[in-house]
Amino acid sequence: MRLPEREYDSNPTSPHFHHRANSSSLSPSPKANGHRSRGPVAKVELPGATIYDDSYIDREEYIRLVIQSLRDIGYIESAATLEAESGYVMETSRVADFRRCILEGAWREAEEALEHLGVAEDDGLWEAKFLISQQKYLEYLETGKTTKALHVLRNELAPLHMDPEQLQPLSSLVMCSDAADLRQKAGWDGAHGSSRRRLLVNLQSYIPSSLMIPPRRFVTLLDQARLRQISQCVYHNAPLTSRHFSLYADHACDTDLFPRITTAILQVHGDEVWSLEWSHNGKFLASASKDKSVIIWSVGLNRNPDISLHQHLQDHPFAVGCLAWSLDDTILLSSSEQYIKMWNTETGICIRTIEAHTETVSALAWVPDGSGFISGSQDRKINLWGSDGKLRDSWGITAIRITDLAVTPDFTRLVAVGESAKDPVLPTPRGDSVTAPNTNRNGNNGNNPTPNGARTQEHLMIVYDLTTKQPELSVSLGGQLTSVKISSDSQYALVNHAPDEIHLWDLFTGRLARKYTGQRQGRHIIRSCFGGVDGNFVVSGSEDGNVYIWHRDRAILLDVLTGHGSGSVNSVAWNPRNAQMFASCSDDFTIRLWEPSSGLAHRTADVQSHESEPGGKGKGKSREPWVEDDPASRSL
Amino acid sequence: MGMSYRRYLAGARVYGCLSCRTHLTTIHSMISRAFNGQHGRAYLFEDVVNVIEGEPNDRQMTTGNHTVRDIYCCKCGTTLGWKYDKAYEQSQKYKEGKYILERNLLVDVQ
Repeated sequence: MRLPEREYDSNPTSPHFHHRANSSSLSPSPKANGHRSRGPVAKVELPGATIYDDSYIDREEYIRLVIQSLRDIGYIESAATLEAESGYVMETSRVADFRRCILEGAWREAEEALEHLGVAEDDGLWEAKFLISQQKYLEYLETGKTTKALHVLRNELAPLHMDPEQLQPLSSLVMCSDAADLRQKAGWDGAHGSSRRRLLVNLQSYIPSSLMIPPRRFVTLLDQARLRQISQCVYHNAPLTSRHFSLYADHACDTDLFPRITTAILQVHGDEVWSLEWSHNGKFLASASKDKSVIIWSVGLNRNPDISLHQHLQDHPFAVGCLAWSLDDTILLSSSEQYIKMWNTETGICIRTIEAHTETVSALAWVPDGSGFISGSQDRKINLWGSDGKLRDSWGITAIRITDLAVTPDFTRLVAVGESAKDPVLPTPRGDSVTAPNTNRNGNNGNNPTPNGARTQEHLMIVYDLTTKQPELSVSLGGQLTSVKISSDSQYALVNHAPDEIHLWDLFTGRLARKYTGQRQGRHIIRSCFGGVDGNFVVSGSEDGNVYIWHRDRAILLDVLTGHGSGSVNSVAWNPRNAQMFASCSDDFTIRLWEPSSGLAHRTADVQSHESEPGGKGKGKSREPWVEDDPASRSL
Repeated sequence: MGMSYRRYLAGARVYGCLSCRTHLTTIHSMISRAFNGQHGRAYLFEDVVNVIEGEPNDRQMTTGNHTVRDIYCCKCGTTLGWKYDKAYEQSQKYKEGKYILERNLLVDVQ
């Protein structure tokens, strides 16, 4: 990733380059940093217009970007030397003056300079002048010069702007009580904030980029190269640090750093494990089981951590289906049929049992500000609760028997999935109904259509506006929908869809963006999640007992992880604080933790506590499987 | 077995489990009211949902020998009746694959 220190010093392309350039090409005046005359630097005459014979890159463009970068870093002298040696200047004095005028608030001069900066059309010039006048107006208001501000409004902004409706918000700012109020209402940070700099960036779009180079242009190009390299790196799971991104080599993540090895098996539940949720601090994992209990496991962020049973929450009347940690991790919610239980995660004491739903609670989600949580149920209701467990609001009866729901992190939408409420009618003895449900050999509560009749139910994904509680999108899908998760940028919803598909829906456009296939899902509740750095991966359980992982954007199946026993892998959960660890749970009564095979992985994980660990121990399988026969011996 | 939600039914009359109101079947699915179970009157149905079926065993009934399985509510586990796997008498073959639910263990849920 980086060169040893001594090689670095002797490297001619190191940052020490400018010393060499100075001493070799400038007249001998050893002091006078910054006062040295540029005269003695001879202009180098070069043939052609590109940087190499076989390159398409224009030399002038390239050198001007180098000069800009040098200036930005603070190598002013080197930049001046390069201008002299190359004969190119970063920008003309006119552009420099314009930049200075904007930053110093010399508005009249700035407007005059604008006339000579090649703004293409009249419209462009108008709009650029409008932006300058708007800044001027706001600055006058900020300093209490209301008369001058109104003068700008009437004589500059009003004539320039054709649409009076867009002027109205500006003119209403006159009513602001003080400068702080103005800045808040205008969404503007004042003359001494970044507003002039931002104005300059906005004006940039009207001025040809060859005249005024966009700020940090070289870094912008390098960032684009980095993004391209990341998009090529299908196992990408490295944090954005200089250690993982060198300009010297293309970025590629080591596939050994990908979590594909079972490093712990947690085996205490006495029946199928149905659901998993990590605490927000990544230190605890909660598991919900058919054995009517929830276990909070203490996992810790340390390499080779002590995994211990932190709490065993046993007081549930039925099997437990859902879990949700409060934002501060002090409360864990669990659902058991129509009951919701609130647990103190430190003491393991049940704070409250809520019985407001009449059918199975199928989804629990804390709202992003932590003020409460939302429950969804097979009784078609969505309820909003305070963090004290008191009902605050209700959606009433929705169109679907909810199987899962999630709230977008930006707090604008709620995505619910489920079956439409048009319940089926069973076949009549004469066989004239075509809505027969199937009857399985052992427990006929499955959801597959029978050969003698298809089900008439619709499976819907409904996107609600959280403020109005009105549906803004309703999509009818072909199969049972069992899980929904939202990406951290609030744009995508990940929906498990029987049979055998996972859909990625773009909530901004209302379109299906990706499909992931390979996993098996027929009649059971199988859940998936995003995972890894930037949520680059999609991982899901499967009825074939394996764990499936895809690259999110490219929808490539990366891995099929085996290890769980017979039955379904019901749910998966990626550690929110350790991008190289996730957990899966299965009908085989166990939970597995998955981590990279390489011990090195633990040092490169973006978790501080990993940094100081020695490299020798903690290789993949060093953890003993957790097997506990005597519940009385558990540690608290 | 994995996790799944219970089925919900619609119709003029939906019968549910007396103890937990889990939907079981509808009046449209009823074949006969003329049966008797351990708790008195029982009904024969074409189809029943949300039940777990026990192991098959042979039972001598008033109408002859049958292979049947007990059926239990999938939520609360109450024994609700049985399912006919096989009828040995030719005249009773119509019951194969059908379900008996005890009337006293049922409740109208709609």
